[in-house]
Amino acid sequence: MNVTKTFDDGKVLAVDNISLIINDGDYIFLLGPSGCGKTTTLRMIAGLEQPTEGKVLIDGKDVEGVPPEDRDMGFIFQHFEIFDQMTVWENVTFGLEMRGYEEDYIIKEAKKALKTVELLEYADEYPSIFGNPGLQKLGIARAIATGAKILIMDEPLGSLDPKVSKVFRHELRNLIKDLGLTAIHVTHNQEEAMAIADKIIVMRAGRILQMGTPYELYENPKSIFVANFLGETNFFQGFVLKLLGDGIIKIWTRLGGPKLFCNDYGNGFNLDDNIVIAFRYEDIYLFPLNYNFEKSRYDWSKMEFFKAVLKSKRFIGSTKRFYLALDNDDKFLSTKPGTFVENYKPGEELIVGIHQDDIHVFKAPDDLMYELSLM
Amino acid sequence: MVEIKLKNVSKSFKDLKALDNVSLTIKDKEYFIILGPTGAGKTTLLKIIGGLIKPDSGEVLFNNKNVTKLSPGERNLGFMFENYALFPHMTIYDNIAYSSRVHARDPKQTQKIVEQVLMMTLLTGRNEALPEEMSGGMKQRVALCRALMNLEQTKLLILDEPLKALDAGLRMSLRRELLLMAKSQLLELTVIHVTNEEEEAMMLADRIAVMNEGKVVQVGTPYEIYYQPKNLFVANFMSEINYFNGKCVKNGEVLNHNNLNSEKLDDIFLQIKKSSIPMQIDIGMNNFLTAFIERKTYNEMKNGDRVLLVVRANHIKIRLGHRKKDKHNAILGRISRRKFMGVFYRFEVLVKINGSEKIIIVTNPATSEIHNSILEDSEVTIYFPEELGIIFKHPGKDVVNKVLKLE
Repeated sequence: MNVTKTFDDGKVLAVDNISLIINDGDYIFLLGPSGCGKTTTLRMIAGLEQPTEGKVLIDGKDVEGVPPEDRDMGFIFQHFEIFDQMTVWENVTFGLEMRGYEEDYIIKEAKKALKTVELLEYADEYPSIFGNPGLQKLGIARAIATGAKILIMDEPLGSLDPKVSKVFRHELRNLIKDLGLTAIHVTHNQEEAMAIADKIIVMRAGRILQMGTPYELYENPKSIFVANFLGETNFFQGFVLKLLGDGIIKIWTRLGGPKLFCNDYGNGFNLDDNIVIAFRYEDIYLFPLNYNFEKSRYDWSKMEFFKAVLKSKRFIGSTKRFYLALDNDDKFLSTKPGTFVENYKPGEELIVGIHQDDIHVFKAPDDLMYELSLM
Repeated sequence: MVEIKLKNVSKSFKDLKALDNVSLTIKDKEYFIILGPTGAGKTTLLKIIGGLIKPDSGEVLFNNKNVTKLSPGERNLGFMFENYALFPHMTIYDNIAYSSRVHARDPKQTQKIVEQVLMMTLLTGRNEALPEEMSGGMKQRVALCRALMNLEQTKLLILDEPLKALDAGLRMSLRRELLLMAKSQLLELTVIHVTNEEEEAMMLADRIAVMNEGKVVQVGTPYEIYYQPKNLFVANFMSEINYFNGKCVKNGEVLNHNNLNSEKLDDIFLQIKKSSIPMQIDIGMNNFLTAFIERKTYNEMKNGDRVLLVVRANHIKIRLGHRKKDKHNAILGRISRRKFMGVFYRFEVLVKINGSEKIIIVTNPATSEIHNSILEDSEVTIYFPEELGIIFKHPGKDVVNKVLKLE
């Protein structure tokens, strides 16, 4: 609640008056570019830093002065913090012994924890036999053996090869969901956050920009930054041409000219307001010039159509990227998977379609380049 | 003009065989990506091309001239490494102009070229900044500028994980810039770029060499690597896959394969039709799937031989309910987990194959239909078009486990 953290005698404001609630059993991500305050926030929740102002509550209790080891938390960091000179078994039992549990209890809990992460058969080996995912699983076993209810993870996939990370992230989510743990995971990698999170908290410059489920953030971004950071998005500047009531506005942009209709999204725009529209690469349909819309079984009534020239295309696996240009040479991209015809040739003029609901409108910021810089 | 050939190049470090008999040709003006996991030998290969390491055996040829014994300086190429290696005490301008000064080129000419590369990399006006005042993205561009300065003769640019240290969003935009620059009429570069990210490889490459354990496993266009992988390792490296164990069904008759979905009949499917043919496999308990197999492999197979069928998660379609009758290659299942990923939904589908339970991964575009109807515990039918299934000779259970665990 209202947590602020400054460093260097108040000269560096790392976290600026943020409030957030993390529900029991949620897998939460703190997501943002380097320097956004996400790690500082995590460290304050963990008790590794004290807030300059504000409170951290766990189960309704103020935990000011409660050291990290008494907060029922397990810690997983990018660089593992596993004891190389101890066996897998000793790595797990060490924390239990330090807490003075009886031997029977230690054996029972360590076995259960190693079995959960499927490492029990390696109990007598040294951690050096594992790849990086194995080390992170050992870290999880160690945390759950000591009865941790909350996992604190700072870039836990950061040192994995990209391919390994893409496989392991699903395993990590499934494991933590099956165990019913609450997890707080810091990353700068938005794809990782989308793939794993129940809820994402997007941070920038010490503040929370938006929080919600991946679906809410992706489908209804509240800022240009979030629209740009999550997913691949085209942006065009323009202004409001007409207010049509029922939250529908008519806008002018260089894209499509004076004819785009779209939702106001509760922004309360006025006539002539400068705006920025955003639309996802995958929301752009492409049709050949001679496409017969009347024959199609789809309802096109809320689609906006205009023409563009295909400049180039690139195959990137699950999708193709189509680079398109308007008459005025403004460029944008489409990756609509499963588009009707994939044999479009560069130089060909195409009909471009966007559904009104897929156009997001934002008030024009003072500095669009800054908003799009992802810093 | 520069064409690079490697002939039977090997290199060991003590007991570790870093490169094992690698032969490659990189064509003039090609954007060539060397892709593989950590420890595959990518950087060693790159350093051998650059002259920073000498091979134990084998030859490196530039335009058919043997350069194996030449130093990096004598090979005339531009380097850029992951950590940029900028001089911290020099301004942007001095960092970029450094090599020209070392080579004692005409200062006026140098200034002209520096201004040109600064403009190309959108750094104009920042000449006097020091590296410590720059963001990661800017440093990356300065390092690129410096590499470009060296290219007057060979126009060969060597990049070792150039985008690795950057945030994802920045990486995306710099990828695009790299490609534009490499392909610009002004430069017409030959680029050799090492990465461990398959997405980066697909976005940039004209051709990709996939490496594993010191060997080049496959060389091809992104299309070929994606649709016609040589083995399980390559198939798995490019995206999430599913596999089925089965037995070859070969009763003398070759399946008719003129029933390909004509809507999707892109160049690649024509290519697949040329080099591969459809084959049925028996996955047990009277269930059969059809997919494509290389002609050559098909000819070597006998009825009943063990095979492995691989299907990418994004090539499997998902429909609500049991609709086995009207779909080809259909399997019934239940959604055990679903996760929204942005462009896609990722499903883990519990199916029964040959009497035992198995999870099949399916990724489908996140349309509102899928969002609203296919929920956890839904009964579903999953199916895939036969031209998108790939059959290999079975490499054995150990190989399958090793490849899929990526250990």
